[in-house]
Amino acid sequence: MIMKKTNVRRMAVPGVLCAVFTAVSAWHSVKYNDARIIKPMDYSEYTFRIQDLPMILSIGFIILYVLYLFCLLMKKIRVRKSIEANTQTVRSISPGYGLFGFFGLFGFFGFWTYSVDKTIFPFVFFVFFGFFGYFYTAKLSGTLMDERFRENQVKAGAAANKTALTIIFAAVLVLGQGRLIGSLEFTLIAFVIAVSLALALERFLSQYLLYRYDQEDGFEESGE
Amino acid sequence: MPDFECRLKKYRQLMDMTQEQLAVQVGVRRETIMRLEKAQYNPSLKLAIDISRAVGTPIEEIFIFK
Repeated sequence: MIMKKTNVRRMAVPGVLCAVFTAVSAWHSVKYNDARIIKPMDYSEYTFRIQDLPMILSIGFIILYVLYLFCLLMKKIRVRKSIEANTQTVRSISPGYGLFGFFGLFGFFGFWTYSVDKTIFPFVFFVFFGFFGYFYTAKLSGTLMDERFRENQVKAGAAANKTALTIIFAAVLVLGQGRLIGSLEFTLIAFVIAVSLALALERFLSQYLLYRYDQEDGFEESGE
Repeated sequence: MPDFECRLKKYRQLMDMTQEQLAVQVGVRRETIMRLEKAQYNPSLKLAIDISRAVGTPIEEIFIFK
């Protein structure tokens, strides 16, 4: 708990200082510097004024703060990975994470956004279908990761990768013809959908197959 | 499926050990011991040695590869 408070302080204090400094700089700019840098301006004709310094510094501090947050995140990921590598049991996760899979339905918005303003990014949301695999990972929470488990993990990962790569390869082969659907835009959309779904399938399968391999003999008699 | 005969069950019972006890001793799950006894899992050399020490029997008497 103390550690958590320290972490929060480490993240929040520089952020609050940045926000206060930016607010003071903005007030200074509005009051004494014709709101330069705050209001949209033509930067191609920009000439430095000493009065711009507080706003320039506050922008610099914000950039440094974002970089600092990024470094903290990287550090946390590294520590977590190291803990996971040394741990002997599967980390406990809630099956609730599997519900994130429903975000995959947002992918269908892509058809609507494409018809409105040609935006195709929402199709990428199909990747979220992969989160359904967490239902199976959650069932394995706390399982001792002995050598057979790790072997199954590698086997499941390899099978999932092979399936996803086969789909991506087929998509490249078919959609690479370009004229198959008649329009390059449709080809791109089909490709984004195919790759997103293949990635989702890879995530799902690696977790589902691990569960299946692990449990396939779990229902047999004990043989004691 | 690995082509070998496993006599682990016999030697484990001679030592009056349960699968669970053996599993804890060699650091694997009971399911792994169960699969081993049915010759459905090919163990690593380290696990085979650990098991051989745990049941006090030479490794080549527990796992018989044809």
